[in-house]
Amino acid sequence: MPLLEVKNLKKYFKVASGINHAVDDISFSVEKGETLGVVGESGCGKSTLGRTIIHLQEATDGNVILNGEDITHVHGKKLKEVREKMQIIFQDPYSSLNPRIRIEGTIEEPLRHSGKFKSKAELKEETNRLMELVGIDERLRNAYPHELDGGRRQRVGIARALALNPEFIVCDEPVSALDVSIQAQVLNLLMDLQDSTKVSYMFVTHDLSVVKHISDNICVMYLGQLVEKASTEELFRNTLHPYTKALLSAIPSVDINNPMKRLELKGEITSPIDPGPGCRFAARCPFATSKCKEPQKLREISKGHFVSCCRIEEIN
Amino acid sequence: MSKADEVFLKVEDLEVIYTSGKKNVQAVNKVSFELKKGQTIALVGETGAGKTTIAKSILRILPNPPAKMLGGRITLEGRELTSLSEEEMLDIRGGKIAMIFQDPMTALNPLMTVGDQIVEGLLLHNDYDKDAAENRAKEMLELVGIPKDRFVEYPYQFSGGMKQRVVIAMALACNPLLLLADEPTTALDVTIQAQVLDLIRNLKEKYNTSMILITHDLGVVAETSDTVAVVYAGEIIEYADKRELFINPCHPYTNGLFGSLPGMTEGESRLKPIAGSPPDPTDLPKGCAFAPRCPYVMDECIESKPDMKEISPGHFCRCIKAGKEI
Ligand SMILES: Nc1ncnc2c1ncn2[C@@H]1O[C@H](COP(=O)(O)OP(=O)(O)OP(=O)(O)O)[C@@H](O)[C@H]1O
Ligand SMILES: Nc1ncnc2c1ncn2[C@@H]1O[C@H](COP(=O)(O)OP(=O)(O)O)[C@@H](O)[C@H]1O
Ligand SMILES: [Mg+2]
Ligand SMILES: [Mg+2]
Repeated sequence: MPLLEVKNLKKYFKVASGINHAVDDISFSVEKGETLGVVGESGCGKSTLGRTIIHLQEATDGNVILNGEDITHVHGKKLKEVREKMQIIFQDPYSSLNPRIRIEGTIEEPLRHSGKFKSKAELKEETNRLMELVGIDERLRNAYPHELDGGRRQRVGIARALALNPEFIVCDEPVSALDVSIQAQVLNLLMDLQDSTKVSYMFVTHDLSVVKHISDNICVMYLGQLVEKASTEELFRNTLHPYTKALLSAIPSVDINNPMKRLELKGEITSPIDPGPGCRFAARCPFATSKCKEPQKLREISKGHFVSCCRIEEIN
Repeated sequence: MSKADEVFLKVEDLEVIYTSGKKNVQAVNKVSFELKKGQTIALVGETGAGKTTIAKSILRILPNPPAKMLGGRITLEGRELTSLSEEEMLDIRGGKIAMIFQDPMTALNPLMTVGDQIVEGLLLHNDYDKDAAENRAKEMLELVGIPKDRFVEYPYQFSGGMKQRVVIAMALACNPLLLLADEPTTALDVTIQAQVLDLIRNLKEKYNTSMILITHDLGVVAETSDTVAVVYAGEIIEYADKRELFINPCHPYTNGLFGSLPGMTEGESRLKPIAGSPPDPTDLPKGCAFAPRCPYVMDECIESKPDMKEISPGHFCRCIKAGKEI
């Protein structure tokens, strides 16, 4: 039994000009101790997917199943339990911390809230352990979030998420705001924690070298939908969907003698507000034909490798 | 001297501190650099190194208190910005000099639609009428990859990367002469990032815009900048033409930065971050600020601060060992 199963999940938002299909019929599962990478264009619904799974937002349709139990519509005490098992590290280290609470208090809060620590001393000890674990200096204990730079704020967020030994953590771009050296420290930290606690991650990122480094499997999203899903190795070796290809080709190269050769995307970007039934990438896809105006199905091309594109046999 | 060679922006001996409690954070320590018209300088370095503070000093938007500019001169086209009145600065900000802020939320008004915010900036610095400004705003949105039917939405209805793109659209809408881009693409995936960098490149070509690009993405530096300054603990510790810096990085810190990159090719499973963390900015070492983390540290490094040395024409490095064999 997988730790987490997501079945036909949808999250729609009503906005001034119509209905935004932010997450539109997404399914996947995550095993214990596994990392699922989620990549895709900015605004394609990655954060919304993560927030909906861990119940920060109500799903519009579909199911979320944790350890075999459907938790899509739980509330009250059960919801509190579920929230302890599933945590999130937020994308934005600037707005995810309460500006009026000192660092120590920020990390202590979920611990206190859980009621699992009886004495002040126990609380303090656990807070210390977490601060050390994520590498926050002792001198910052009494600082307020605004006094910290982004990297340190993000560590505070990680410490908070780790506080109650969750089984599943949505890491929403946890390292995007960090510079490479600190990024490496944080990635190593997250991987070590996974080794010792068997926690599973859904790792949202736009950095493909990071996702390649950390994930077992990868989902590629485009405008609310899954366009490709495979093991990490398979996805990089045998990239099939035109959007995934464009994505991989746009990685800036650090090799000064070997700049990237980008597959450029032209054409209007489809709006997620009341989109039509066809492939949402078609307007920018260099391979699009009239067949792409029809709804696309996610097909299993080889074992475990799913693609949603009617033209891959012809173009690959 | 041809126009292209004229120094456009000059920063000399900039020094900024933040007072926090009884202590002073020495955020920027005697930083100097020059920028020619149409040129891009990249500032790279760890969080807390002082990059944002340098950019904010140029725009004169440091929060005071706690920030204080202790010394230095900043001149733009020969005019000393540090001596301008607040009124004159208001005119320059968002017009001649535009900044893309690292934290998009501080730059966006949560109570106003994104479209209206771009329009507001346009009306302030250009002589557009309302309709023309609205059209230009929609055009800018599309250029950063946001469909124009989203003009009427509020910031909270946008994703992190979309908010960042709105801030970029606002900064670029007025065709600035100097663009201060503070980690402009951190929240963007590579296809949108490439589109945004193209947009900035077009602006540079069309208006000969100069740019200070702050980023920790060495790939973006490689694709976009002309020169690179590596910032560590408030100082520039290495400065060179981009090509030279990537091929012959000299400072042990710069070398460490390259070593921390997750590779796209090799299969190593642990990354090699630079050991240790940056020094406490309220109590900087008296010698080389990197010495406590440096794998090649010697006694001299701890005793006194190394000077900036020119190890080859235009390539400067602040390390005792610079230019010598290690
Ligand atoms: N609270 C909300 N109200 C209305 N629309 C929303 C809301 N939150 C997100 N959206 C919309 O849902 C879509 C997906 O947003 P989401 O934040 O999930 O994107 P993302 O993939 O995380 O992007 P990024 O990489 O830029 O963070 C976007 O079109 C966004 O504007
Ligand atoms: N408003 C502030 N109050 C106190 N200290 C600050 C403030 N802003 C920045 N600092 C400190 O100044 C130093 C440089 O910060 P910053 O310029 O933001 O660095 P960077 O942009 O390179 O990450 C850091 O030590 C940071 O903690
Ligand atoms: Mg997001
Ligand atoms: Mg900064």
